[in-house]
This record gives sequence, C-alpha cells and structure tokens, in this order.
Amino acid sequence: MRTMSFVALGLAFLVLSVSTPVLAHHGFSVEFDKDSPLTLTGTVTKMEFMNPHIYFYVDVKGEDGKVVNWAFEGGPPNVIYRQGWRKDTLKPGDVVTVKGFRAKDGTHLAACSTVKLPDGREVSAGSGGVSQDAYGSGGADGKK
Amino acid sequence: MKKYFRSGATCVGSLLIFFPFAIARGNQAASGTPQAAAPPDLNGVWSAPFTPDISKVLGHQPPFTPYGAARFAKEDEIDDPLTKCLPIGPARGIQAGIMPFQIVQTPAVFTILFENQHTFRIIHTDGRSHPKDLDPTWFGDSIGKWEGDTLVVDTIGLDDRTWLDTAGHEHSDQLHLVERFQKVDNDNIKWTVTFEDPKFFTEPWSITLPIARQNTEIMSYSCEENEKDRDHLVRTKK
Repeated sequence: MRTMSFVALGLAFLVLSVSTPVLAHHGFSVEFDKDSPLTLTGTVTKMEFMNPHIYFYVDVKGEDGKVVNWAFEGGPPNVIYRQGWRKDTLKPGDVVTVKGFRAKDGTHLAACSTVKLPDGREVSAGSGGVSQDAYGSGGADGKK
Repeated sequence: MKKYFRSGATCVGSLLIFFPFAIARGNQAASGTPQAAAPPDLNGVWSAPFTPDISKVLGHQPPFTPYGAARFAKEDEIDDPLTKCLPIGPARGIQAGIMPFQIVQTPAVFTILFENQHTFRIIHTDGRSHPKDLDPTWFGDSIGKWEGDTLVVDTIGLDDRTWLDTAGHEHSDQLHLVERFQKVDNDNIKWTVTFEDPKFFTEPWSITLPIARQNTEIMSYSCEENEKDRDHLVRTKK
C-alpha cells in the first residue's frame, strides 16, 4: 500500500511537472533573459524551501577548473509542493543537472526550468518562464 | 355545554394557529412570487487561469484615455507592486492562477481568502450600501447581491497603487469594478469583471474567465520570508 502511494505520488509529480503556469511576485523579463538559456551540472550545496520562491545553490566546476556556486530560483514553495516537491527533494550532496535562464544582471543566478534529479527524473521547478499556459500569455515572459 | 365550549375553543385555537399561514399563502398566491430560493453554495477552493496580460483576453488594449495610454506606454514590470510584496488587489487576486483562493460564504458576508500573500476580500451581502467618503484601500469596499444563480459584486474605493495585471495595466482611485460570479455547475463558476475608470478608460470594458474548483487547500505564503529578487531586477523600458 505504501509502495503504491509512493508510485502514485511519483506519477503525479511527473504529470504535473509537464506544464507550470507561474505567478511569481515579479515578472520574468525584469530579472531573467529568455535569450540566455543554460544547462549546468553540479553538486547541491543548499536548499531554501521558502517564499516567495524556492532557492537552491549548486557548485559548478567550470572548464578552467574553478568552482562557482550558482543560485537557482524556482517557483513558490506552495505551488511546487502541490506538484510533488518536498523540502528534501534536493539535498546537499545531490548531483543534478539544471536547465534555466540566466539573470540579466550577469550574476551567477538563474531561473530554474527543470532539474534532473539523481534518480534520473527530470522535474519542473516551477520557474523559468517556459511554460506559462495561461490566459494572456504567449511568450517566455508572459507579455508577448 | 362543556362539549360545545370545548369544540368552540378548538375552533378558535385552530384559527389562531392556521390564520397567519393562510394569510401568507394568500399573499403569495396574489403576488405570484414564490419565496426566494436560497443562493447557490460557492464555498470551496477555486482558481482562474493565470492572466499576466489582460489585453490578450480582451483581444486588444483597453479603451485608454490619452492619460491611460501614456501611463501604459511608460510602465515597466519592475514597478509592479507585487515586486514590493504589496497586496495584489481584488480582481488580479482572482486571476492569480496556480495560487488558489477559498470562498467562505454566509448569508451576510461572502469572503474570498487569497493564498497570494494571505490577503482577503470581504463582500457584504446584507443589503448595505457603500459608505460615503471612502478612503481608498487595497481591496476597496465591496457589496454584493444575488441575482438568481449569480452574485453581483460592486467595488469602489480602491487604492491606485495596485495593477490589473503583470503587463502593467493600471487604474486610478476612481476605478469601479462590477463582478458577476455565476455558478455554472458544482465545479465551475463563470466570472465576468467590468472595469470602469474615467481617468484611465474612455468606457467600461469587461473580461470573462472560467473559475474551476480545486482539490486542494489554500496554503501559507509570505512574500518577505526569503525575498532575494529585488536586488537583481532590471528596467526593461528606457
């Protein structure tokens, strides 16, 4: 029974992660650049499952061997909780691959669209502005 | 004699008991109006589609006055009051998409509890009028009345700092909202909102959104808890 519930939760997680309309407390285009997509792989150092957005941090080793700690912003915690996320979905030490869009101010910050978890699942993090299947939306920033 | 007295008393008693009902039935029959049906039950958790640009629902820009058009042309998303964690406002709160709201309905008050920033609207349905000399507030003063299966809500006294959407459609403190919450079936409400604001718009205009029942509960939300974005925001219009 417990296994079945876990499987059901996993399925719901995957299904609900496909499309994520987003209401952040700020517009996408005033912080992130939809023309600067990125994919980074590294090790999770910290998870902040807090309002108004989740934040998690990943150590990423560059081609020069230098390690940079990137910050990734996801959706509001209540929203992604309903999609199956929990506080420990990402834990320090997890090796993940993150897809997203870099911040316009050039800092090591990005909006996170999806995370490939250590178990191989790729889940939406509720941000990234790539899937706002919403009324009045047609573009990455909801304003096109 | 006692028997007759007892019978007479029974007759009078019966008249006293049933006479008021007989009058009531007679009045009802005379006016032809049956007793008003109870209003629909809209209690529950609901949400409407996230609507970041209200003009896309309308199919065109609202009928701006020259002042309204000039304001929209220069408005930048960085100035969205939500980026400052200010309240979302009455109509935009309905359009908040994946952050649902809960309706708590009593005969005298229709309350909307928004998950977004844990704000709320109180809509008085006890027959009162708007107070005179209203000071503008984030959610204004709302009164409602039932017209069959539809709750019609009239709101004035709104703070001009709220926006109507993420795209930067604004309003003045002369904004007058008329909303119609029409129960379609147990799981669906048709919501129509009319915006009237002589300072920003040349005439009233309306949009309609579907509101659907959600199998969830409203959850906590605190915009200031771990706000980290403000320092990274950049202006998108010069």
